[in-house]
Amino acid sequence: MTNLLHFEDFRAGQIFNLGTHVLTVDEIVEFAREFDPQPQHTDPGAAKDLLGGLAASGWHLCAIAMRMMVDGLFIRATSLGAPGVDEVQWRRPVRAGDTLKLDGEVLDTRASSNPGRGFVRFRFTMRRADPSGDSEKVMFFVCSVMFGRRKETA
Amino acid sequence: MWFEDAPLGEKVTLGSYTFTTDNIIAFAKKYDPQPFHLDAEAAAHSPYGGLIASGWHTSVVWMKLMIAHRNARVAAGEELTQVNYVSPGVRDIRWLKPVRPGMTLTYTNENCAKRDWPSLPAFGLLEGNNEARTEDGTLVYTFVNRVLIARKPTK
Repeated sequence: MTNLLHFEDFRAGQIFNLGTHVLTVDEIVEFAREFDPQPQHTDPGAAKDLLGGLAASGWHLCAIAMRMMVDGLFIRATSLGAPGVDEVQWRRPVRAGDTLKLDGEVLDTRASSNPGRGFVRFRFTMRRADPSGDSEKVMFFVCSVMFGRRKETA
Repeated sequence: MWFEDAPLGEKVTLGSYTFTTDNIIAFAKKYDPQPFHLDAEAAAHSPYGGLIASGWHTSVVWMKLMIAHRNARVAAGEELTQVNYVSPGVRDIRWLKPVRPGMTLTYTNENCAKRDWPSLPAFGLLEGNNEARTEDGTLVYTFVNRVLIARKPTK
């Protein structure tokens, strides 16, 4: 347990690279059929409306980010869930074939009324990798996550 | 119906969804594989004392019910704002209480504000307060949705 990241290990300004994910048509359609069944998310031949053809549900991007947060960080930390998310912005349509990169920046940390826990506030940013090396921000959200403390104070 | 016509302050029931051990674990396996969402045994030893749904699971069910609700109204011949639901984001997601297997949540939506959206002047931004409650009325989830709605053409 001691080599897991605890509340005390987080500092404002830290940036955690949470890896990449290549989005497929099948996963866009699978998520959307269950949770967001609109043509722009479920029909690869969707009309080019406001989103310009098949695009992932914004909620799907949140779910993908969550998976990357767990695999890239929480799995080696004492994370205890989150009470909410302050703001989610979906900035650009995301399409099959896009390579998505996620990072998490620590904005601040604060103690909890529960002496065994603390809150770490992150901005998680998803970017679309571009072959030119540039990347475009497609989504971000700001979220406080609870972590266990290394030493319980009395 | 256009942005200008969308009513404010009317609370609409979107529908209900029952969380089960199976659908909680299925969601968690794909999107949020933390022990308290994934494994009843491990969850029993967590601070939650048992399996709980991923907060994102509670969130995406709102979208599922919103789309079903809109489709049902269109099928009933009602004239809605445009059929596609396109959103620049949401705010103030609050997972207030753990959602456990066997809980049936009923979700409601109430449009609360209209704003300009300068980057797409043909659209306006409609914001709504959303709630999910258990069968005994306990509030477990709230957030503010934001949807872009076409404005009435000027010519």
